[in-house]
Amino acid sequence: MIKKFIRILLLSLWFGAITFPFTGIRNAILLSISIMASLILWNTLSKGIIKREGIEIVSKRIQTFSSKIPRRILALFFIFLFLILPLFMNNYFIDIANLTGIYIILALGLNVVVGLAGLLNLGFVAFYAIGAYSYAILSTQVNFSFWASLPIVILLVGISGILLGFPALRLKGDYLAIVTLGFGEMTRLVLNNWDSVTKGPNGILNIAPPEVGSIVFREPIHYYYLILIFVILTTFAIKRINNSKIGRAWVAIREDEVAAEAMGIDTVRMKLLSFSFGAIWAGLGGVLFAAKMRFVSPESFTFFESVIILCMVILGGMGSIAGVILGAMILVLLPEALRGFEHYRMLALGAGLILMMVFKPEGILGGPRRRAELRPDDERIYMQEIEIISKPKF
Amino acid sequence: MFLQQLINGLTLGAVYALIALGYTMVYGILQLINFAHGEVYMLGAYLGIIILGFLTSIGFTAISLPLAIIITLVISMIFCSAYGMTIEKIAYKPLRNAPRLSPLISAIGVSIFLQNFVMLSQGATDRVFPPLLNAEGLTFLNARITYLQIFILIASVLMMVGLHLFIMKTKLGKAMRATAQDRKMASLLGIDIDQVISITFIIGSGLAAAAGVMVAMYYGLVNYFIGYVAGIKAFTAAVLGGIGSIPGAMLGGIILGLMEALGASYISSEYKDAFAFGLLIIILILKPEGLLGRRVGDRS
Amino acid sequence: MKKFFSLILFSLLTFYFLLFTVIGCAKKDDVIKLGVAGPMTGDQAKMGMDFRNGAELAVIEWNEKGGVLGKKIAMVVSDDQHDPKQAVSVANKMVNEGTVGVIGHFNSSCSIPASEVYNRAGIPMITPASTNPQLTERGFDNIFRVCGRDDQQGAVAADFVINRLRLKKIAILHDKTTYGQGLANEFKKALGNKVGVVHYGGIIQGDKDFKAVLTLVKEKKPELIFFGGIYPEAGLLVKQAKELGIKAPFMSGDGVIDPKFIEIAGPSAEGTYLTFSPDPVKIPTAKVFLDSYHKKYGDHGPYSIYAYDAANIMLTAIKDVKSTEGKKITEKLHTLEFKGALGTIKFDKKGDVTVVPYVIWITKGGKFEEYK
Repeated sequence: MIKKFIRILLLSLWFGAITFPFTGIRNAILLSISIMASLILWNTLSKGIIKREGIEIVSKRIQTFSSKIPRRILALFFIFLFLILPLFMNNYFIDIANLTGIYIILALGLNVVVGLAGLLNLGFVAFYAIGAYSYAILSTQVNFSFWASLPIVILLVGISGILLGFPALRLKGDYLAIVTLGFGEMTRLVLNNWDSVTKGPNGILNIAPPEVGSIVFREPIHYYYLILIFVILTTFAIKRINNSKIGRAWVAIREDEVAAEAMGIDTVRMKLLSFSFGAIWAGLGGVLFAAKMRFVSPESFTFFESVIILCMVILGGMGSIAGVILGAMILVLLPEALRGFEHYRMLALGAGLILMMVFKPEGILGGPRRRAELRPDDERIYMQEIEIISKPKF
Repeated sequence: MFLQQLINGLTLGAVYALIALGYTMVYGILQLINFAHGEVYMLGAYLGIIILGFLTSIGFTAISLPLAIIITLVISMIFCSAYGMTIEKIAYKPLRNAPRLSPLISAIGVSIFLQNFVMLSQGATDRVFPPLLNAEGLTFLNARITYLQIFILIASVLMMVGLHLFIMKTKLGKAMRATAQDRKMASLLGIDIDQVISITFIIGSGLAAAAGVMVAMYYGLVNYFIGYVAGIKAFTAAVLGGIGSIPGAMLGGIILGLMEALGASYISSEYKDAFAFGLLIIILILKPEGLLGRRVGDRS
Repeated sequence: MKKFFSLILFSLLTFYFLLFTVIGCAKKDDVIKLGVAGPMTGDQAKMGMDFRNGAELAVIEWNEKGGVLGKKIAMVVSDDQHDPKQAVSVANKMVNEGTVGVIGHFNSSCSIPASEVYNRAGIPMITPASTNPQLTERGFDNIFRVCGRDDQQGAVAADFVINRLRLKKIAILHDKTTYGQGLANEFKKALGNKVGVVHYGGIIQGDKDFKAVLTLVKEKKPELIFFGGIYPEAGLLVKQAKELGIKAPFMSGDGVIDPKFIEIAGPSAEGTYLTFSPDPVKIPTAKVFLDSYHKKYGDHGPYSIYAYDAANIMLTAIKDVKSTEGKKITEKLHTLEFKGALGTIKFDKKGDVTVVPYVIWITKGGKFEEYK
């Protein structure tokens, strides 16, 4: 007990000592004390009330409860709910909901590349930017309507996904991550510097809003339904492909590329496909973004955006569609809810990422298989996995 | 003009090389891209301003400027070593057996956290380094080199040589090399892996801090944003030279510095950052092991 | 397992509804809400805070005098993080919260998309700092600015170079931002063919090493180097130019007027020409403002005084029309002749100030002063 206390004491003193040049001595002492207090609190609590098993029992109960509700009814219920939701919201909330929708599409797209195929893409924002700018240029220069531009843009983005995919195929893991990061940054630089086409830093103004019949989309609520339709479409498409032969091939590549190749999977084609399939959704997100903002500028497509989208995928649970949607919702809504603490939210996001990776790397809704993959040391998870696999499927 | 660009590029390159060393050492041992390394460099630069400001306020700088600079350098290196070690213990050590994606993401988390920590504690404003040596320097053949540039070049070379000797000649250096080759085997042979990793982070962060202080002095301006771009460029340098290879990092840094200086003047100054990224992509695709690196097996 | 999400989704939705109800039921405060939007965090947080403080000072002074229309004024500060997307989001937010007018945004790239939201809602917006001509060129009648426009500024600078300095060879650099490039372009346009431009090119904002491009410029021996951009890059450029032995003076715009510029550049800043509004220290009302600002917040930023005036104009208009209706305030703003800290301000049809508020400044003895 005393040993533990000394450890805590030393730990908090250490943090105080390394932060004092930045925060000043008074704040460093405060920090020390608060770290000490929270560590002691955690230690006493973790002994008595909060037990890991306890949490797991509760979450299991919730799971068994929720699995009793039929899937389809649930889906319909949610769609209905989201359909009537904007009737109770003011423009500000609808605008946030629109943003959430766009991010859900983006995160689902990234989920295909990172979550399913296991290729870490840190330049995902490039496709988002290409999508947004293509529509902006088509709309302002060629006078194409939203609906006419959509297929062209998606084709363009899909091709650029393959173009990036080709060279990147030879690389694995972090190397791939860095090449894609470079690609993302280059895209932004080109957008910022190619004045004759992209209007450089000024961005492109007066992008045409979408039209359906005689309705011109001007109010946030119009966009809400447009985006909702695309979110449902994306979710559906990704769910289908997830359960298809292609989706399984991706997962196989993620888990063991050599074994996947031995099983007759054309890994080159599959990887390319995942790149361009993921990119398509980013492009779609970009088009929606450009249409909603009616203005695009390079500032919206920084590396940080890629990181945020990646965080959404990770937070919710890589590979899990529901998880990714949840992740996107949390990361868009939480900062809005915490607007009063705007200075601290980024700090919290950074800390959250670290804690997430250390304590729950599979994300909030990561499946047991994913968990087993991410926590090779934890035997309990293997047991769970066996339990689940041996259960009959219905 | 070419000579002048050479000088510009070399100074820039020496700084990149110092930061790149930290990347390459960590990668060599943990196969981890320490995304937060650029932030350690940023912390070092801030510490430089804070410590030198303190020394000036107690009137020490007036007594001996060179001594003040050296004290600043040393204290800032000590602090950043502590940061490096703490980051490793909190964000990477628990993830040592996790898939490769997890520590990378946690590193991004550290990076965001540190940036905002500095912004909150030091303010969002650019901090200005007290001007010390200013524009004084030597002129020859129509090219100018300032005393500060000479100092940076000499100090970087000294540190790099020192590191090389440490890795090659000491027992700890040997342990580091062994760990880099085969971590499991090294631990079976009685090497304390945790200790080796900690030392790697300590040395890498110390060098980054030195780079930070020198850059802060050279440009006279620091903000909490500088870590990201510098980090990416240093990483490019490390990859260019061959990641995991220490002489490679030095070579890569110098080449990158030169390329940026020449590219910005002969091709386009607007695309200056694009050269680093373009080079990175080309190298990774054509010769992923880099100039001086060795080919390693599956890296997924 | 997979269905676990439904529960969480459900709770999230409940959260949504709760938030909505909380906002909906919030008691109608008996205050007048004045929005202030700008980059309060992020890379330009300093500029944002500067102008927030300026606006706050105005609000405090009004409140001390008893507020406006018999109500206290509450400031709603929103952070757009120098991100157009956030700018639209906070604009919607402020509209919903019932702000009667908005002071902001700071960056042109944020002001332009946000102005659409304010226009739709019919709320007047006065920006203290967005100088891009585009902002007021789109036929919105409720968008105003108390600062000048880049084209006006570029013209004043070009006139100075042609007629006062009588130079023949000039190099132009800019930082590839809406503001910097816009200013550089307008300057170049105003120079016409009277002056030879030997180099025209961009640098990267946030970069620290400009020696490569400066070495290139040095070779071309310009008599003056014009820089479109803001103070950190300007300070570094001036300093590094001196280190390279460039003798030609620099010239830049209002984004460089900041004590930090001289701090960064040190003695190298001497002799740099700048275009800016007339010295506020010489205007008696501005002196009062500066004194109380310094007492409360320390050193003022370049746009603190603009924000102060913008807030005062908005509140005066509200007081004059005795209403918080956006349309009435907008109408009043178009006719109002306001005597503030910056002198007399009057808006034209587009919402720009009628007097070209630019004069030439020079850096001398570690200070900015008006050039005579």
